[in-house]
Amino acid sequence: MSFLSRMSRRRKIAYGILLVYVAGLIGMSFAFGVHTHRNNSFNIVSPYHLTAWVHLIGPIEIDKAVLYLLLTALITIGILWFVARRMEMRPNRIQTAVEWGYDLATRLTNDSLHGRMAKRWFPLIFTLFVFILVTNLLGYIPLPVDTAEKLHIAGFSFPSFQIYAADTNVALPLVLALIVFVSYNVEGFRRHGRGYVKTLVPAGIGGGMLLFMYPLEIVSHVLRLLSLTIRLWANLLAGHLLIDFMAGDMAVLLGLPAVGWFLLPLGVAIYVFEAVLIAGLQAFIFAILAAIYLGGAVESH
Amino acid sequence: MIFTIFHILGIAMVVHAVIMLAAQSYNSVGENAGKAIALGVGAGGGAAGAGAGIGMLFGKVIEAVTRQPEMRAEISSIQWLGFALTEATFFYGLVGGFIAFFL
Repeated sequence: MSFLSRMSRRRKIAYGILLVYVAGLIGMSFAFGVHTHRNNSFNIVSPYHLTAWVHLIGPIEIDKAVLYLLLTALITIGILWFVARRMEMRPNRIQTAVEWGYDLATRLTNDSLHGRMAKRWFPLIFTLFVFILVTNLLGYIPLPVDTAEKLHIAGFSFPSFQIYAADTNVALPLVLALIVFVSYNVEGFRRHGRGYVKTLVPAGIGGGMLLFMYPLEIVSHVLRLLSLTIRLWANLLAGHLLIDFMAGDMAVLLGLPAVGWFLLPLGVAIYVFEAVLIAGLQAFIFAILAAIYLGGAVESH
Repeated sequence: MIFTIFHILGIAMVVHAVIMLAAQSYNSVGENAGKAIALGVGAGGGAAGAGAGIGMLFGKVIEAVTRQPEMRAEISSIQWLGFALTEATFFYGLVGGFIAFFL
């Protein structure tokens, strides 16, 4: 067994994890069998359906997404306000992070917008960046909000834990995209007046081509709204569904715990990938596209 | 005589009902098959396009950084922009597949 004493600690740990994984897989297969029991009554999207918790007036209600929205707003305002109030020469980690985000937002604003426009629209771009970043990251923290499947402990039933992001519902990305869409069109009309529609097609195109280009450009502008919405929404929803699938839903649907054990590392990998990369990237993309669209609406051809 | 006529009519009705039922189930089988194929094609085609685009993008980034290592930071920021825009087309395909599946 001298090879055991010659291995480095890290390698021992790696082999140990691999051994536990394979042993667990074999053990699960023996203990629970390898035959599937299809569970067709399990609804994988039920964590993402919204049921009203408190009915306010008419269609306005308080539910899961509203709670997360309020949390996001509180966290965003709280962090930014406290950091701005207590700025220090030797910053702590939160101030460094906020300064880095501020720097990023100023850079991407000044790349596309100039002068007064940059000063006017920077708050929107920075707010979009921070808000979407916080609401994405909040979606990877398990919170007890799942009222569809309640836990019953000692006579009390309270909601079970789940991961949910407010922008897995299409309403939030749609509203943010509408803000950007209306803003850049209003800026275009403000700059060019009625001639804004003429700036949609490049200058110097003949008559016949114009008949073809105008509808194409208008469709492409409407597609900007749709693409902003769907990019943010589908990234988050697909990521969450994938995490749900890999980390347990597949095992429940098939009735096969061995599959759950087998797919768990993949679930963890996707969770880390999503939380580290996709959350921040989607916020960055939304902000930079907002800046690009605003800049494009006011440039003179 | 009447007995056989009624029997033949009865059997004909039962056979007719079974054929109608079978035709319905075949229709819904075809519909489900079509939905499954639509979702698979939507997701698969989207993934193929996104994979090709993202691979090409990062390859170009590697080439560019090899030529001019000092431009790395600037190219990195364009790289992430391109990655997210290309990845989004996968989700357009996926959403199209979902629309074909559920609507």
